[in-house]
Amino acid sequence: MRISLNWLKKYVKIPVSNDELVRLIGARLVEVEEVIDETHKYDNIFIVKVEHAEKIPDTHLTLCKINVGNIEIPKVEKDADGLVQVMCGAPNVHECMMAAWIAPGAIVPASIHEDAPFVIGKRTMLKKYESNGMLAAADELDLGDDHEGIIEIEPDTAKPGMRFADVFELNDLILDIENKSLTHRPDTFGLIGFAREVAGILGKQFECENIGNDLSVDNSIEIEIKEENICERYTALVLKKHGEIKKKYFTWMDTILAKSGMRPVDPIVDATNYLMLLTGQPLHAFDYDKFIKVGKSDKPKIIVRLARKGEKLTLLDDKEVILNENDILITSNDVPVAMAGAMGGKSTMIDENTKNIILESATFSLYNLRKTQMAHGIFSEAITRFTKGQPPYQTMRVAEACAEMLKEGFKVSAVADAYPVPPKNNVVKITTYEINNLLGTKYNKDLIVKTLKNVNFEVDVDGDNLEVMAPEWRTDIYIKEDIIEEVGRLLGYDNIEPVLPLHLTAEKNPILEMKQKIREIMARFGANEVLTYSFVSGKLLEKVGQDSKNSYRIINSISPELQYVRQSIVPSLLDKTYVNEKLPVERFAIYEMNDVYRKDLGMTDENVPVEKFSLGLVVAERKNDETAFYKAKKYVAKLFEELNVEVEFLPISNKAKQVEEKPFEPKRSAEIFIGDEYIGIVGEFRNSVKAEFKLAPYVAGFEIDMEILFKHMSKDKKIKLGSKKKEDLTVTTDKSYAETLKQVQKQNPGAQITPGTIYQAEGQKSKNITFHITK
Amino acid sequence: MKELEQLKQELKKINIEAAGVKNLPVEKRAEFGRKINQKKQELLSKIAVAEKALLDVEVEPIDVTAWSGVNEKMPEFYPTELGSKHPLMSEIDHVVEIYQMMGFDVMESRQLDDEFHMFDSLNFAKEHPARDGYDTFRTEEGLIPPAHTSTMEHRALKKFKYKLERGEPIAVVIPGRVYRNEDVDATHEHTFYQCEGMFVSKDCTLGNMLGVLREFFERYYEQKLEIRTQPGYFPFTEPSVELLIEKPKALGGKKGDWLEMLGCGMTHPNVLKMAGIDPTVYHGFAWGGGIERLVLLKYALGDIRFFESGNLNFLREFN
Repeated sequence: MRISLNWLKKYVKIPVSNDELVRLIGARLVEVEEVIDETHKYDNIFIVKVEHAEKIPDTHLTLCKINVGNIEIPKVEKDADGLVQVMCGAPNVHECMMAAWIAPGAIVPASIHEDAPFVIGKRTMLKKYESNGMLAAADELDLGDDHEGIIEIEPDTAKPGMRFADVFELNDLILDIENKSLTHRPDTFGLIGFAREVAGILGKQFECENIGNDLSVDNSIEIEIKEENICERYTALVLKKHGEIKKKYFTWMDTILAKSGMRPVDPIVDATNYLMLLTGQPLHAFDYDKFIKVGKSDKPKIIVRLARKGEKLTLLDDKEVILNENDILITSNDVPVAMAGAMGGKSTMIDENTKNIILESATFSLYNLRKTQMAHGIFSEAITRFTKGQPPYQTMRVAEACAEMLKEGFKVSAVADAYPVPPKNNVVKITTYEINNLLGTKYNKDLIVKTLKNVNFEVDVDGDNLEVMAPEWRTDIYIKEDIIEEVGRLLGYDNIEPVLPLHLTAEKNPILEMKQKIREIMARFGANEVLTYSFVSGKLLEKVGQDSKNSYRIINSISPELQYVRQSIVPSLLDKTYVNEKLPVERFAIYEMNDVYRKDLGMTDENVPVEKFSLGLVVAERKNDETAFYKAKKYVAKLFEELNVEVEFLPISNKAKQVEEKPFEPKRSAEIFIGDEYIGIVGEFRNSVKAEFKLAPYVAGFEIDMEILFKHMSKDKKIKLGSKKKEDLTVTTDKSYAETLKQVQKQNPGAQITPGTIYQAEGQKSKNITFHITK
Repeated sequence: MKELEQLKQELKKINIEAAGVKNLPVEKRAEFGRKINQKKQELLSKIAVAEKALLDVEVEPIDVTAWSGVNEKMPEFYPTELGSKHPLMSEIDHVVEIYQMMGFDVMESRQLDDEFHMFDSLNFAKEHPARDGYDTFRTEEGLIPPAHTSTMEHRALKKFKYKLERGEPIAVVIPGRVYRNEDVDATHEHTFYQCEGMFVSKDCTLGNMLGVLREFFERYYEQKLEIRTQPGYFPFTEPSVELLIEKPKALGGKKGDWLEMLGCGMTHPNVLKMAGIDPTVYHGFAWGGGIERLVLLKYALGDIRFFESGNLNFLREFN
């Protein structure tokens, strides 16, 4: 939303500098995304009078002599009559008209934000006519889209030589407001509501100008609201045409529309748009005669209802939409003529032949409109306001104000108003103590009452008890905290002294400590912690042999790459292994500790999926023909050792059973147990997996359950004292390492035995296994 | 092995059969072609599966109880200089440590949650447009990978309610991974980390909230800091505020530079009520801020996408 400071100043006196005002608005009302400085946008543009206009035959050009008043521009010569020569290509240029002259040396406003703004100069046209500057059209001034003709200014409002910017108050600052932070404040989406807040934060009483009047309802046309809660209020005026509205002169209202980011179109649309910007209440005009024709009725019968499945409507922009069942429709005797709040229909649109108008001023359910907005991708100024939940109190008044603006051509002939349940004004009882107690302030009662009254709350005071009644546009005030927020905000949160609460003591979180410890250990081991997405592709699950049906599937995923919630950590790491081998990184151990979810893990007592806290690691080298398994095993074994957990590595009897074991090759992997409890797997990956991920042969990894680890880990490191005797023992055997170790242990009771190398001579069946023995 | 041979034989047959298409009348060719092609595709995918399985058959078993391969060196760790901790995790540790010293307990956030915790328990009206503002992902079951760590507020209140009964305040921070359905670019990630904070007692104030947050940032940046606020809107706090801090000297801050750090506010009475805490007796405040931003600022990084890239050229800078 764009707010013109000059316009704002018409509704509230601002005794502070612009910088301070912007700071206060930012601190107490809404985030100002940008302040657009237009204070020099219209420099060297002047009001002039066209004294002579002479058509040049066989061209579109007119040779003009203009009166520029006292203005002297360097190098611009005036003739004997004191007039300046300028060529003009617009068909509407004529003698005696007042126009806007962009003097030589001035920047054409429409180009001001371009990389190379266009500076107008002195030109020679058709090889012989000198032209000084230009007479401007609305689009060149960045005040409209019109390029058909130059703008014409009402003679009574300005004199030649006056600065264009002064006459139309164009030396301005425009505030670009972040709409999101006013989601709950529909009233501030009109300038008056915004101005009220500005008065409030400046500590001033807001004096509200009355926009429009309530008319007496004759209900001579019928309005029916079919469903409850889709339309809180629907007001309709019939305007009968009695004369022409001549849009001749460029007006101040045109500049307001332009500065607010809209464009002047025609008198009726401009009036509705202007009033929307001023009050926040959108309006819509139907062609009366088309409306009754479409509905095949002799009098308008307006029915507001939800769309039926498959119903279609051609909109103003010629697009045919298929409506959804939550779209609200305006119908003429049940025939759709507009998508309520979003866009009018083509069949009833006003045009230059329109005789009579039905002027709609209504409010609609923001919930429905929000869905309509999303489903049909309509982001107009009107629907932006409706989806904040415009209050219903002013529909009639704004419609009447619009009729008043159009009175030159139209007069009100019928007034109808469907307002089934007018909302009650909310009253909140609160004490000054409660306010100060939540904010941490010492505001006195008078200040609090004044602050609320400034923005038109009514306050009944009884001792320290306040009875606060919200104004009719504040549909967001229900509870004490709402009032406390108003007081805190309007007086400035920055005026509240930050104070620390009493000293507290925290409990440790042992799982977090375990994670920190693992991070220390793994970094020491030369491993790298990575983070990878929780979402993976169906393809990735397939590559490692995990069933995608066991994964929670994201229905609105960004891409197929991120469609499933991952079932274990290692597959994501295999993806990153490829990435790093490609870089290339020669050798690495990457690991991640994170939560995984799978359908087979079931639901918790809270009926949310059980989470599994998992640690996965992959070691990989681009060139190494040794057995990667033992590297991965070393990593996991030493980790357990550092955490004082004793584990056993057991060969996998047949097929891998656990979900996280799927990528692993059973013949080159071990299951890890703490006593009888399975905790995870360490191993190399299946050849097919390595092929799918395009990995170098030297790759292995592990995945373990961190919750089981946590259950068994102990902080106390066993320290053995005393003298130690070390010896090496080599056994020749064809049994496995574990079986051989058992024998050695039997022979050396109580000794600490660590593994040495394994040697097998070529052609020999038996191996020599070396053990380091410490007694 | 045999199975694969068989499948390949079948494929041959089908190819021969397919060649017969030219003997058919023109009007029957399309139908025939479609059928035979379908058969062929099925067969090809079966062959792919069988070939893949074959890859996994020809595997030399190893002694998984041993500590090194036969005739191989004992494996070694990679050098400590190559090791690293993820910068986001280190940052969370650091942030949490400061809050712990300030007396806050820690719990961690879930990564797959439901509508109740994500929205209902936080006073978002049913179907309210404010829910759209969070760009949530959803699963087929309607579960939500949470879009903010506030998804844990209800649980934190219930878990620590016993403290109120003992006359102590609830003070807890909740770091966690969150998700938004957003296109990824240098400043946006669909996956990122936040840290939530909550404080509930009989007499805490908005001034206390500002006090706690200023204290945190002063400890974090190791200097005295000015703070500033902007009004905000969150359904689960009232009043709601955005907190800005003066840009710290360590980040090259000059006078008049401000950083938007987090959203915060006084906990909405409905949020307390839903967790079984009487809002007429207790009030609270809560806040939540992003972790990535702290790290990006700290190291003057320009691209958020590094964090989840797994790229070791980046990650090994953090050892």
